[in-house]
Amino acid sequence: MSGYAAYLLRRVGQFVLVVFIGINISFVVTHATPIDPVEQTISATTAFGSTSPEAIAMMRQSLRELYGLEGSLWQQYLSFWKRVAVLDFGPSLSAFPTPVSDLIGRALPWTVGLLVVATTISWLLGNLLGGLAGYYREHRGLRWAGIVAMGFHPIPYYIVALLLVIVFGHLWPVLPISGGSQMNLAQGFTLDFAASVLRHSVLPVVSLVLVGLGGWFMGMRSLVSNIVSEDYVVYAELGGVSRRRILHSYVMRNALVPQVTGLAMSLGHIFNGAIITEQVFGYPGMGSLLVSAVHAGDYSLVLGLASVSIVAVAFAVLLLDLLYPFLDPRVKVS
Amino acid sequence: MWTVLRDLLRHNREFAAGVCLLGIVGLIAALSALSPYSPLDSYVVPPDLPPGLPYVLGTTSRGQDVFWMLTFAIRNTLLFGFIVALISRLLALLIGLVAGYAGGWIDRALMSLNDTFIVIPLFPILVLFYFVMRDRMSWASLALVMACLGWAYDARLIRSVALSLRTREFTETGIFSGMSMRQILTQEHLPFVLPIVFSTTMNNINWSIGLEVTLSVLGFTDINTPTIGSMIYWANQHTAMVAGIWWWVAFPVVLVVITFVGLFLLAISMNEFIDPRSRLGRGMQ
Amino acid sequence: MRTLRQAVLALLAALAGFGAMAQELISNVPRHQTLVVENPEGTIRNAGWFNYWAINAGGQSTGLHQLALDTFWYIDPNRGVNGVWDNSLASEKPIYNKDFTELTVKLRPGIFWSDGVEFTSADVVYTVETHMNTRGLRWSAPIQINVAGISAPDKYTAVFKLKKPNSRFHALFTVRWNAMWMMPKHIFEKAGDVIKFAFNPPVSLGPYTLHSFDPNGKWFIWQKREDWKRTTVARHGEPGPKYVAYVDAGPPDKRVIAQMNHQLDIIHDTSPEGMFTLAKQSRLSRGWFKGFPYAHPDPTLASVIFNNQNELLKNRDVRWALALVIDIKAVSMASYRGAATISAIGVPPTGTHPESYHKPMEAWLRTFEVDTGKRKIKPYDPTIGKQIADSLRPSMGIQIPDKPEDVAKAFGMGWWKPDLQAATELMQRAGFKKAGNQWMTPDGKPFTIKITVEGEGRPVMTRAGSMVAQQWRQFGIDASTVVAQGTLNDRRAAGDFDAIISWSVETWGGHPDLSFFLDSWHSQFIAEPGKPQPPRNWQRWSHPELDKIIEQIRTVGFDDPKGVELGREYVKLVAREMPTIPLMAYNVFTVMDETYWTGYPNAETAPYTDPVPNWGNTKYMMVKLKPRQAQ
Repeated sequence: MSGYAAYLLRRVGQFVLVVFIGINISFVVTHATPIDPVEQTISATTAFGSTSPEAIAMMRQSLRELYGLEGSLWQQYLSFWKRVAVLDFGPSLSAFPTPVSDLIGRALPWTVGLLVVATTISWLLGNLLGGLAGYYREHRGLRWAGIVAMGFHPIPYYIVALLLVIVFGHLWPVLPISGGSQMNLAQGFTLDFAASVLRHSVLPVVSLVLVGLGGWFMGMRSLVSNIVSEDYVVYAELGGVSRRRILHSYVMRNALVPQVTGLAMSLGHIFNGAIITEQVFGYPGMGSLLVSAVHAGDYSLVLGLASVSIVAVAFAVLLLDLLYPFLDPRVKVS
Repeated sequence: MWTVLRDLLRHNREFAAGVCLLGIVGLIAALSALSPYSPLDSYVVPPDLPPGLPYVLGTTSRGQDVFWMLTFAIRNTLLFGFIVALISRLLALLIGLVAGYAGGWIDRALMSLNDTFIVIPLFPILVLFYFVMRDRMSWASLALVMACLGWAYDARLIRSVALSLRTREFTETGIFSGMSMRQILTQEHLPFVLPIVFSTTMNNINWSIGLEVTLSVLGFTDINTPTIGSMIYWANQHTAMVAGIWWWVAFPVVLVVITFVGLFLLAISMNEFIDPRSRLGRGMQ
Repeated sequence: MRTLRQAVLALLAALAGFGAMAQELISNVPRHQTLVVENPEGTIRNAGWFNYWAINAGGQSTGLHQLALDTFWYIDPNRGVNGVWDNSLASEKPIYNKDFTELTVKLRPGIFWSDGVEFTSADVVYTVETHMNTRGLRWSAPIQINVAGISAPDKYTAVFKLKKPNSRFHALFTVRWNAMWMMPKHIFEKAGDVIKFAFNPPVSLGPYTLHSFDPNGKWFIWQKREDWKRTTVARHGEPGPKYVAYVDAGPPDKRVIAQMNHQLDIIHDTSPEGMFTLAKQSRLSRGWFKGFPYAHPDPTLASVIFNNQNELLKNRDVRWALALVIDIKAVSMASYRGAATISAIGVPPTGTHPESYHKPMEAWLRTFEVDTGKRKIKPYDPTIGKQIADSLRPSMGIQIPDKPEDVAKAFGMGWWKPDLQAATELMQRAGFKKAGNQWMTPDGKPFTIKITVEGEGRPVMTRAGSMVAQQWRQFGIDASTVVAQGTLNDRRAAGDFDAIISWSVETWGGHPDLSFFLDSWHSQFIAEPGKPQPPRNWQRWSHPELDKIIEQIRTVGFDDPKGVELGREYVKLVAREMPTIPLMAYNVFTVMDETYWTGYPNAETAPYTDPVPNWGNTKYMMVKLKPRQAQ
């Protein structure tokens, strides 16, 4: 299996490259900001009070020392990488002195949960329906399913989420349109909490699935309709193998493989969608945190969020890439 | 080229539908030149009037005519989408053709870069960009940044076409007759690549408009310029949906959905046209 | 295919079942005993942090400073429960010595922390000394600048020795939204580094303790203390709600939906359109005013603030000309849809100020003259408030008050009437020339002004700015708006603007003393161009007469009526000089739902505090709220 080892090494190298470039971009961009976190904090603190100008000057000085904003850009870059290696992004500037990693840690499970559930459902459902539609070309129900799925696919995530809020917030308020779980319900592995989380996640998941479904559907359908005309399928049909069996073992099995690659390529895009959807539904994940961090001018937190996003997506792609050779025996990993 | 388009129009239903839809959208965008109101002004008409005469699509809470605002909005949004698509096509073509033709370590290096850009989640980067540029961000700089982020997917596609073209006979002939790489790429390979580029352009426009709408709705762009996203942004500011001013949100959404579906139909019909197997498949039906 | 159909049907059934399960708003806590309030801070990033004294670390208006913290005195932005001034932890008003270098505070006995320890002067000494010895706490700077020493002669007395005379030092401990709160000595002295201590769970001095909170920062629930009688609000009665929940209610339209579904009792702020919708569709929702304009005018004066260090704007004629181009009726319609309370003078038209400033100065305003160079005009039009009301009556009907005093209270009194001719004359006297339709500066360049606005953060003010820019544009000036979302505070402090829609005038509301903002306008505090300007003299304007007024106020006691006279001198000065163009009060559309609770403050019958729920002063609302069932 030395071919696989080489493949593994190459893919891991790719992963490291992606992470490195991505985080560097984030660092450069955040540190180019004209926002001075000290001034942000001062204006937030003195907004309602009547602090004298001398007091403000004193406050400014102590905050500078506290936030550790001294040192040249290069020094900050080096110390940044030293800390990031141990997943320490420093303290959040708008929620000082809580570490950024704590804040992200609280939000990450929500986003990951949303993403995993929504992606799994839309991938499985889309491929299933697309496969069936490609094989049973005359079935009217599947044709209509196709049109609906393709209708939603080009619409941006935000608009679909907005439509769902309108329908379930204004017209038929049966599902909650904001929050991650019910108020006053303690978080934990209880049935109550799980049910509440489930209920609050229905609309965000539906929103992501509606948009994502069409892509998989179409891809699968065209793959299947190509495979259907292949010799071995025709031979099996003539040979009397049941249609069900052909669909399952001959057609779908082969069509699924490129769809796995497709999944890896579109993970970044789906992640975008999840973040946007969270913002619309007030879901307590990384998307909402990112938007509020930007509005607060907290570049520590923004940098941490961007870095974690990049690492998460790159890692997921790496996993998929490593699994791929096991799925497709034709692939030679030389 | 023209005969191809004409045939498509006649025989391919999706292509015809797509052209039709985009025609409507284009017409509306062109009408912006006739607008009696400046897009930056507010309170030029009585606010909150439902669709009817003389304000066909109603008026907003800011005292603007929804129809005329929409003409500017879709014009700006489309313009933005085209510019991003154009710049990123150039980048994708450049990188894809060069990588496919040159091969070797150039190819590997460019493709590593390419994969990096495919994997990186773009939205946080764009938000980051806004975070830094803030109020100094102009549409031009946003378009540039998005173009620099949006070439990856299609560059790979172009590269695979270029790879297959390299092994063809006419390429060898070209090399033997002393054509430089640049001449071969532009005179021999480009005509093959262009149809693919055309269909990816549609998808790219969709993608960039979608991102623009999202960023504008969140208030991360210059919201004074009317675009589809900023219309929805202002509608949200005025809690239009709750106040019952549904036409302020509905019409921009409908128009942008028409745009998306139209572009999408064009893209898939071009794809089908390019892929000879599917063309044959249709012929058999 | 049958299996597919079955699967789809099963899925639909599951969804329908989900929907049918009506879920309560809050689990384990009875809704009719809970007051649900919006916290405009949104989702608190650092939810488990309750150490208010460390800067910016956790939530502030999560119920923490409204229900759990306490300090010496409260000044109400309106009338107050028993008068504007309330002695809270203190039992008497501040006692200064003759030259304002010493402040004695007499404390109220019988007040206990929620863990049973009594509040005494030891806590006061600990709080002040901690701030004296630590840099980087929220109030370290004002304490270190002012306080030479603190002592506690007995359990219920604290004496501050000040470094220099300061007749308004007590303002530090007087709550107007917030103030310097008292720390529990017995908790903090064991906590190690004050800056790193989370104070979770908090120990309360106020009538509520923390019941539970969301680690993701979306809700905080407080529960009434069993021993509420041992807190300072007990003098006014028992707090009504057993539980108070402060939540992140989302964007403005979700807040309106939540109240229409009776899941949000108090909305902090929403758009004017959201307000009108609630007024129309929700019978039990009400604002501060029963009818138009519904909103509560906060003691903050929204104005067009000029950068007086800008060459072109240094000339008073130019500033007055720009003011005379503005049609405040259109600005009111554009920003608040008419629900604005206008003010021509540099004091917000709210609280007790109409009695102290606006009404007494009406006579002076009517005869006030401006010399345009060619003639003298009387720019004040006392009927503009009434004109706005009249223009809204056809569409809003009975919601618009008709009695003149009510109209004046709701819409404001008069403003400068637009006079383009006079504006032209003033500009010409300043050396500007009109080339075609465009005004040119004395240097021959086109006259360009950019108005900085805050964008989505303050949509109403952004609309006002857009309308002002539009009117200046129509006059021939190259005016436009610049959105400074998120960076507004930086740019305002840096002076990076020509004009900005913001406020440099904020007052107590219930008390006529203007020192809250006016003291910082002294020329000693003006920064060089390009350097950060400390609040609140954003307009960077100085005038020798102003300095004289400020210095005199410093020598006069807080309650001395001479202070009001000096305040009126200030009003006359800024009317003449126009360093900023006052527009209107900052109207907040706080909407209260009477489905579960009644007794909210309102303008007509119960102006006992500011209903805006992120103010620390709202603790007085709790004792007035009664459950609806009790009626």
